[in-house]
Amino acid sequence: MSEVLLHAEGIDKNFGVTHAVDHVTLDFYKGEVHALIGENGSGKSTFTSCLTGIYHKDTGTFTLNGKEIHAKNQVDGNYQGVAIIVQEIGTLSGLTVAENIFLGKENEFTTFCVKNTNAMNKKAQELLDSYGFNYIKATDIIDKYNFEDRKLIEIVKATHFKPQILVVDETTTALGEKGRKELFKVMKETRDDGRCVIFISHDLDEVIEQSDNISVLRDGVLIDTVKSADVNTDDLKKLMVGREMSNNYYRADYGEKISSEVVLKGEHLTVPGEIQDFSIELHKGEIIGIGGLSECGMHEVGKALFGASYDREGKVTLADGTEINDIKTAIDHSIAYASKDRDNESLVINDTIQDNIVLPSIENLKRNHILHAKDEKAFAEKFAKQMSTKMEGVHQFMSALSGGNKQKVVLARWIGKDSDIIILDSPTRGIDVKVKADIYQMMDHMRKNGKSIIMISEEISELLGMADRIIIMKNGRQSGEFERSEVLKDTDLIAKMV
Amino acid sequence: MENEKKQSVPFMERPIVRTVMPFAGFTFIVVLFAILTGGQLYTAGNLKLLLSQSYVLLIACIGVFMVMTMGGLDFSQGSMLGVCSVVVCYLSNVNMLLAVICGVLTGGVIGLINGFFNVKRKITSFIVTICNMYLFRGVVAYATTKTPVYGASNITAYNTIGFNLTFTVVIFVIAFAVFQYTGLGNRLKAIGAGETAARFAGVRVERTKMLVYMAAGMITGLAAFINSIKVGSVTSTAGNQLETQIMIALVLGGMPVNGGAKVKFYNIILGAMTYKILTAGLVMLGIEPKTQQLIMGIVFLVMVAVFADRKTGMIVK
Repeated sequence: MSEVLLHAEGIDKNFGVTHAVDHVTLDFYKGEVHALIGENGSGKSTFTSCLTGIYHKDTGTFTLNGKEIHAKNQVDGNYQGVAIIVQEIGTLSGLTVAENIFLGKENEFTTFCVKNTNAMNKKAQELLDSYGFNYIKATDIIDKYNFEDRKLIEIVKATHFKPQILVVDETTTALGEKGRKELFKVMKETRDDGRCVIFISHDLDEVIEQSDNISVLRDGVLIDTVKSADVNTDDLKKLMVGREMSNNYYRADYGEKISSEVVLKGEHLTVPGEIQDFSIELHKGEIIGIGGLSECGMHEVGKALFGASYDREGKVTLADGTEINDIKTAIDHSIAYASKDRDNESLVINDTIQDNIVLPSIENLKRNHILHAKDEKAFAEKFAKQMSTKMEGVHQFMSALSGGNKQKVVLARWIGKDSDIIILDSPTRGIDVKVKADIYQMMDHMRKNGKSIIMISEEISELLGMADRIIIMKNGRQSGEFERSEVLKDTDLIAKMV
Repeated sequence: MENEKKQSVPFMERPIVRTVMPFAGFTFIVVLFAILTGGQLYTAGNLKLLLSQSYVLLIACIGVFMVMTMGGLDFSQGSMLGVCSVVVCYLSNVNMLLAVICGVLTGGVIGLINGFFNVKRKITSFIVTICNMYLFRGVVAYATTKTPVYGASNITAYNTIGFNLTFTVVIFVIAFAVFQYTGLGNRLKAIGAGETAARFAGVRVERTKMLVYMAAGMITGLAAFINSIKVGSVTSTAGNQLETQIMIALVLGGMPVNGGAKVKFYNIILGAMTYKILTAGLVMLGIEPKTQQLIMGIVFLVMVAVFADRKTGMIVK
């Protein structure tokens, strides 16, 4: 094996009582893609955040090329040779592309206190062109670009100065095919250049495919480092959860007959710029999977059916003919919706677990038109516990929970509401294997109890594993439909997506 | 980011501090002025006076409390009180009940104007209500140009402790019940803490906002009635600076300026009483109005700094 590039010695970080990273000692080599995997809250992100200056470690040292580094913040980290691409959006709205790329580094273009904007724009454009993103203009305000393109700009921002260590923190979950390809290209270049990529992802297939070595963390402790060539996903799962994963990850049945009773019907739905003339019929007890590339409009379908789209044309009706045109009507008629944008749309993040679970069910909880505080608490506790949410109590604020636990609260809310039609947009996005399994099991259980589910997902294996029927979308329209079957392959679906 | 982020909570941001601080502040002010005035502040006569000066503030605070819970602000309360008082005094010459009803309706209409510009035209409440503060101050000035508007000669007959106290308590009981037991409080807090998420949970955000602005106006209409029976007439300065008094009072009561989940109904009473004792104490100590204003300004600034819920971000809608 080649030379050690980065040596982490006894890295330790506490958040209050939570021991997020527990004395991790780990070597990263020149010319390697090193994956970090582990369940939510296992400490991968905290570890890399300490390295790149987002957090400050409690104890331990990072030694890069024989020199100890200590990043005070992300820009400082960049100058010391480490960079990170984060999971959520890491660019600032209202600034130009160039200003984003050189954020915090304006001094490089400043002489005698005057910033040379032209030089900065020119440099930024050269960089964009060199990455092959020449359709992105450095002088444009970044808001002009969609999520995917902004992510590409972030890649340029994090890698243009050729950092010794590039951290890719769960970036791929937010990216579509094209963005992934670009990202993997940059990762490969970094490796081939004799530098190192630290790659964090929940997608184990992707991890094995892209990385050379894989380190597994559990509860902040480094469990093992293995060669990617020697392991398969089951080995990794076993290491991550510390026990054998059962095989019934997805539902096992095939060929079950679906009821002919239609519970929700969307006819000729059009949302300008998002979906075009889309129609759907959801049957009782059915799970419909909707898939496609991230920009295909499938995420808007969930909103359109929930009455949450602006400018929607077409009709959404229930079995009894009720038209759904706004969110309140949808909820009152037993429709639930869990958004892909968990922190903004699904949850009131600056509120407590209890308030979040209770909010849609306030009217149901009233006794003789009166809402009692103890009913609220009991209700929230019952469903939070039913979902086995990890928490101190229902009074805890959402912002303190991990991604998987937040999603559990979202689901607890709708299970509490006892909705019959459940629309789940990317239900397992950024969530670890264990919680994923819980969610799949819950969906299967709901289906058997006659609830109907629409699952919008960018994960093909999830669509194949869970859905009775899969609708594939492309450019805002339906491009294919498949029945549940053992012989259906991911390539069949992909063929309809691109 | 997926790790359990449990940073050690700074002292000032612990829930217990947020709960205890306003009570401690109240006690501190009470004791401080007991000592400074040698107990003078709490003679039966002075307490009665203190109470008689508190009704308007107490009542007007309720409406702003609701507006602030959902993350808004209302600076138009003072002018609103002025306009409503003009209506109450003027109509009291015709019929007392009619006067009260029309006073409340006037407040409701002004509140709806606030709500319309905030909700339908999407202008932040801060700007809208400052504009309306000037606009309706102008209306009051116009109505009282030549002479004050006098109420019916018998209007001050209602100004008894029994009536005022009952009136205020009844309003508080109703407001509390509505806030606590109908789910309105939950909805307002959710809007304050995260408007988009509240909408996706089925809260009719636009309708609720309009309703709350209107209700805040109507409640001030009721305060205007108390104001009218106390004074008997309206001059151009009626309700001057009431909006700032309300804001200081609520913040003294422990209310986060940006509303949201940490709002408590008792913030109103605690805050209004702390404020009134503070001002009454300063007056009794013979401190000049100019200096009083200075002191109040500093107190306000400090309290805002202490009670701002920084996690939520300082977003005023």
